[in-house]
Amino acid sequence: MSREKDVPNVKRRRFLKGAGLAGAAAIAAPLNAVAQTGAPAPANNPVPLPNKAAETQVPPELEVLTEGKSGSDFMVDCIKSLGFEYMAANPASSFRGLHESLINYGGNKDPEFLTCSHEEISVAMGHGYYKIEGKPLCVFAHGTVGLHHATMALYNAWCDRVPVYVVIGNIMDVQLRRPGIEWNHSAQDPAAVARDFLKWDDNPASLQHFAESAVRAYKIAMTPPTLPVLLVADGALQEDPIPAGMDLRIPKLPRISAPQGDAGAVAETARLLATAENPVLIADHYARTAQGGKLLVELAETLHCPVIDTSGRLNLPSRHPLNQSSRARAHLSQADVVLGLEMTDYWGTINSYRDQIHRTSKPITKPGAKLISLGSGDLYTKSNYQDFQRFADVDMAITGDGESTMPMLIEAVKTHVDAGKKSAFETRGKKFAEMHKADFERARTDATYGWDASPVSTGRLCAEVWNQVKDEDWSMASPTASLSYWPQRLWTMDKPYHFIGDGGGMGIGYCASASVGAALANRKHGRFTVAIQCDGDLLMTIGVLWTAAHHKIPLMFVMHNNRGYHQELMHVQRMANRHMRGLDRAHIGTTLRDPYIDYAKIAQGMGIAAIGPISDPKDLGPALTRAKAIVKGGEPVLVDVVTQGR
Amino acid sequence: MRTTILSRVMTAALAFGVSTAWAADSPKGDPAKGRALYMANGCSYCHGTAGQGGGGRTGGLRIANMGIGLEAFRNQLRHPVNEMPPYVESAMPDQQVADIHAFVSSLPPPPDVKSIPILNK
Repeated sequence: MSREKDVPNVKRRRFLKGAGLAGAAAIAAPLNAVAQTGAPAPANNPVPLPNKAAETQVPPELEVLTEGKSGSDFMVDCIKSLGFEYMAANPASSFRGLHESLINYGGNKDPEFLTCSHEEISVAMGHGYYKIEGKPLCVFAHGTVGLHHATMALYNAWCDRVPVYVVIGNIMDVQLRRPGIEWNHSAQDPAAVARDFLKWDDNPASLQHFAESAVRAYKIAMTPPTLPVLLVADGALQEDPIPAGMDLRIPKLPRISAPQGDAGAVAETARLLATAENPVLIADHYARTAQGGKLLVELAETLHCPVIDTSGRLNLPSRHPLNQSSRARAHLSQADVVLGLEMTDYWGTINSYRDQIHRTSKPITKPGAKLISLGSGDLYTKSNYQDFQRFADVDMAITGDGESTMPMLIEAVKTHVDAGKKSAFETRGKKFAEMHKADFERARTDATYGWDASPVSTGRLCAEVWNQVKDEDWSMASPTASLSYWPQRLWTMDKPYHFIGDGGGMGIGYCASASVGAALANRKHGRFTVAIQCDGDLLMTIGVLWTAAHHKIPLMFVMHNNRGYHQELMHVQRMANRHMRGLDRAHIGTTLRDPYIDYAKIAQGMGIAAIGPISDPKDLGPALTRAKAIVKGGEPVLVDVVTQGR
Repeated sequence: MRTTILSRVMTAALAFGVSTAWAADSPKGDPAKGRALYMANGCSYCHGTAGQGGGGRTGGLRIANMGIGLEAFRNQLRHPVNEMPPYVESAMPDQQVADIHAFVSSLPPPPDVKSIPILNK
């Protein structure tokens, strides 16, 4: 893909002469060429047909058409220096140089190529992978068309504060684009379509530029708030030889430390928490690492105060006595000091909102309650997409990474806790422990309602899945909102990989691919991964089943197949009731019936073992037992369960 | 069953501090008709086919075995307190409300939690 200026004069002359000959032959011989193939001549084809007749002759001068090493080899060196284990991609011509260098020069190892059928799958796999492994997945994508496919998953990752490292191909130089398709697949500013939800992107103009931007991108992505980044790999940079004598250097990746909150503000927060009657902690996207959860437990047990885990991550063990998430409203209404940790929607947590014909809201917290936020979200915000949510008028906003600031906050709180306070706090904590115990007992009783119902109740579904995984080193990769949060209510979640939050932007299509990405990360740790998979979500990116089969990623998909887009069905119900028109047509556009979709057959067609559909809850336990054995044998499996809406 | 329902209506009406006049004159509900109406009118979307309810922001309350009185039940349908969509009389006459209420009130109690091994591990 050399530019003319890069071609030595002799070679250029030879090239031009050959081109001239070829051009003349092309004019003279297209009908012959077509006759040789036996194919009809396409009408009005703007692209000249190849001169196949020339292949039967010996040209006067021979071109050199091979090279030993190209820029894409060096790009792979750069990518390898960052420690990626995997690179997920749907193959595309705009990164063909990188593709070939990765699998041959790079040995298809660290990173290993993961074959995906859609770029949304590639990015969403990276989304789930990061939340288990704590480091990004590399994704290659076609410039333009591939990136357009990837944008939904990038937006989900953005909203969920997940770094994904994307490299797209593009051909900037007009002289080097083949007529036709490569023009459609090139852009002046290819990252523009995704820039609203990228933390940083660059379009390097040289190999050294690529090296520096490759490391810079990784550093930016991994500094809280952790977010997606993108690099453009120009086609000529990929495919041209590395010029002789070029001194290329890959910068070292520094150890990245997260920004801490201001010490004075932290000290004041500690004083407020320690002297409050009813302090409450709320944690959302707080726990970035395993250490985060441990630190939150330490703070909560120092204060013996309620913790509300809004499930952005697993911030506090589900069975910890101070986990008061199911009583969030009651505790917040009594709170005099509230500390929100890495909140993505603080306002929505401390206010109630009513979706009726007149949308209304009112504060849950009482007047005068001191509200404090601690998080890295304020360090990076963009304007267009509104994922920053409604403005929370807190009394003190501490900008810094919640997890990194936590040790300082704990130490500061402890300075305020003397023996008398400790005793009072412990008494307070015992009360919350009793509440937690009662909540758990109530959840078990609640699960008995609809126990034998068909379709299967979500409570029964989650109880049966829990029965299979509880004795394993398990990891739940899917969100729980559409399951009425039964896993948090019934399961003992006490390791960070037991629950990894939801899809961030709530764009459906996240769960299946993110679950495969999470299972990929769990595989080397020998963990048993389960995903309770909604039907509508799976349909968006169903090709990921093949990826799981092809790469032998062990994962138990248990379908939450309510045969529709149930959330939307409820929205249409709301509108139909508001307009007093009845519900006999609410299923139009919202349900997946007539015919019902047989997910087991689809999975089998993708090379995955499958069981179902199961409608009788009595069949569920035995089916899951069989499925579990398949996963423990190192393969993915899908169990299709026909379920209640919620 | 009717005695039970009526007693629950009275109890709930008193508990909610509302007039019992409507309850006393209210139509008698038919649980079989009520079941069909419950399914056809989208009650099960949020509350489940067994009235088990669902959690979270969009799931409905459990309504099985809650002892909700007819008048409170009707008031919630006509003028929902939280996010439940309203069911006006032209879309769901009082007789249908009574039928659905009768169905909900007829739902059997669930199995004892202690009888379900996997909920006790």
